[in-house]
Amino acid sequence: MRLVRKFFHHLPVYLIVIVGAILTLTPFVWMLFSSFKNSTEIYHYPPTLFPEVWRFDNYPRLFQDRPFGLWYRNSIVVGVIQTATVLFFSSLAGFGFAKYQFRGRSFMFATLLGSTMIPFALILIPLFIEISRMHMTDSYAGLILPFMAPAFGIFVMKQFMESIPDELLDAARIDGSSEFGIYWHIVLPLVRPGLATLGLMTFLASWNNFQWPLVVLRSEKMLTLPVGLMALTENVPGKSRDFGVIMAAATLVAIPIILMFLAVQRQFVSGMLMGSIKE
Amino acid sequence: MTSGTPVEQQAPQRSWFKSQAKLAPYLFTAPFYILFFIFFLFPSIAAIVLSLYKWNGIGQPKWIGLRNFQRLFTDPYFWQAASNTVLYMLASLFIIIPLALVLAAVLNSSALKLRGFWRSAFFSPIVTSVVAITLVFTLLYSRDYGLINAFLVKVGLPRIDWLGDGRWAKVSIIILIAWRWTGYHTVYFLAGMQSISKEYYEAAMIDGANGIQQFFKITLPLLRPIILYIAVIVTAGALQIFEEPFILTGGGPANATMSVTQYLYVQGITNLKYGYGSAVGLVLFVTVFSISMIQLRAFGIFREN
Repeated sequence: MRLVRKFFHHLPVYLIVIVGAILTLTPFVWMLFSSFKNSTEIYHYPPTLFPEVWRFDNYPRLFQDRPFGLWYRNSIVVGVIQTATVLFFSSLAGFGFAKYQFRGRSFMFATLLGSTMIPFALILIPLFIEISRMHMTDSYAGLILPFMAPAFGIFVMKQFMESIPDELLDAARIDGSSEFGIYWHIVLPLVRPGLATLGLMTFLASWNNFQWPLVVLRSEKMLTLPVGLMALTENVPGKSRDFGVIMAAATLVAIPIILMFLAVQRQFVSGMLMGSIKE
Repeated sequence: MTSGTPVEQQAPQRSWFKSQAKLAPYLFTAPFYILFFIFFLFPSIAAIVLSLYKWNGIGQPKWIGLRNFQRLFTDPYFWQAASNTVLYMLASLFIIIPLALVLAAVLNSSALKLRGFWRSAFFSPIVTSVVAITLVFTLLYSRDYGLINAFLVKVGLPRIDWLGDGRWAKVSIIILIAWRWTGYHTVYFLAGMQSISKEYYEAAMIDGANGIQQFFKITLPLLRPIILYIAVIVTAGALQIFEEPFILTGGGPANATMSVTQYLYVQGITNLKYGYGSAVGLVLFVTVFSISMIQLRAFGIFREN
C-alpha cells in the first residue's frame, strides 16, 4: 500500500523530467547519428534514428574538402588567448575595485555595471568600422581586443576578492612587497576558484561566439568554428552542401565542449549565479 | 636588497615604493578604462552621431538630420521585425519562465533521484554552439523528411510546413528559443528554491497541503524576487535576439521571422547602410533600456535594496 502511494507520488515528477529530458536530448542524439548517414538517407522518409548503412567518411571529408582543422585551431587559439587576457585584466581591475579607495572609484564601477545594460547591437556597426580602420578585420586581434576586460568578468572577480582580509595585504606591504607583487603572489592564488569559473565561462563564450566573428572574419582560413559551420551551409559552386557532413561538423563542435562542461558544471553554475546578484 | 645597501640609495627606492602604492589602483584599472573608452564608449557615441548621417563607408558621410529615423518609422520591414521581436519577447516571458519554474520545482522534489544527472541534461543546450544545434533543428523541422513531421503523421496529424509557412516559422523559432533557454533559467530558479527553508514545507505538510498547493502557496511567493529579476533579464535578452532567426530561417519566409538585431545586421553590415543601421541600434537601445527601467521600477527591485 505504501509502495503504491509512493509510486503515484513519484509518477508525475518522473514523467515531467523524462519527457523533458527526451525533448532536450533528442537533437543531440539525432545530430550524432545523422553524422554517420549519407545524404540519401538524410533525405529519406520516414526518417530513422540509426543509419541503415554506417558511413564514416563524413568526418574525413570535412577535413579534406574544407579547412576544418584550421577552423578548429582558430577556435582553440582565440579561446585560449581570450581567456588568458580576460582573466588577467578582469582580476587586475577587480582587485583595484575591491581593495583600494581611489578617486572616481564608485562612479567608474557604476558605469561598468551600467554598461552591461546596453545592447551590443548598438555598438556593432561603429565597432566594426573602428576595427576596419585599425586594419584588424579578419584577424585574431579584431576578435579578441575589444573584449579583453569585460564588465562581467571584473564584477565576478571583485566579488571573489572582497572576502580577502585586508590584514593579509598589509602584512605583505610591511614585508616590502609591491602592490603588483601582492596581486600576483597573494591575491591570485587565493581566488583560484574564481579564476577557474570565469575562465571556463569565457572559453565557452568564445568557443560559441557567432555574431562578432561573423562580422569581423572574411577569409575561409581565418574562420572560427561557428562561422565555419555556417559557411558549410552556403551553396558554393563545386562543393556539395551535404547535411551528413554538416552534422559531423556540428558534432565535433558541440560534443567535446558539452563533455568538458558536464565535468565542471558546478563551477560554471556558481559563476552564472554569481554574475546575477548585481542588485 | 642586501644588508649592505648604501643609505643614499634607499631614499629614492622608498619614494618609488610610496608612489607605486598610490598609483596602483589607477594602474590596475587602467587597462579596463582604456579598453572601455576605445571599444565601448567611443562606439556608443559614434552610433548616436552616425545615426544622423548617410554613409556607406566610402567618401564623406552626409548629414541628413533625423531622416534615418523618419525612414525607419515608416519602413514596413522595420515594423515587421519589431513585431516579430515583441512576439519573441512575450513567448520567452510567458512560455519559458513558467516551463522553467515547473522544471525547477520538479528537480527540487524530494521524490527525484539522480538530480545531478537531470540537471545536467537540461543544462546541456546552453553550453552548445547555437549554430551547431540550430542546424540540427533545420533537419528536425524539415517538411518532407524531418523527425517532427514524421511523428505528427504517425499520431494521425497533418504535416506542418515548419520553416516554409510564415506563421509556423515563428512557432519554430519560439520552440528553438524555449529549447535553448529553459534549462538555463531553471538553474536560477532551482538555486532560489534550494535557499527556501525546509521548515515552511514541513509546516505545510503537517497542515495537509499537497505538492501543488505548496508550489503555489510557498514556492512561488518566496521566489518572487528571483522570478522578477529573471523576467527583466529574459525581456532584455529576447529583444536582442539574433542567432536563432538568422541561422534557422534567415529571417524568412518573406521576413516573417526577422528580428530587430538581424534587421540591423542586414542593413548596417550586409547593405553597408552605416547611418541607417545605427539608427536601428539606437531605437533598440532606447527600447531595451526603457522597458528594463519600467520593469525594475514596477517590480520594486530598486526599492527592496
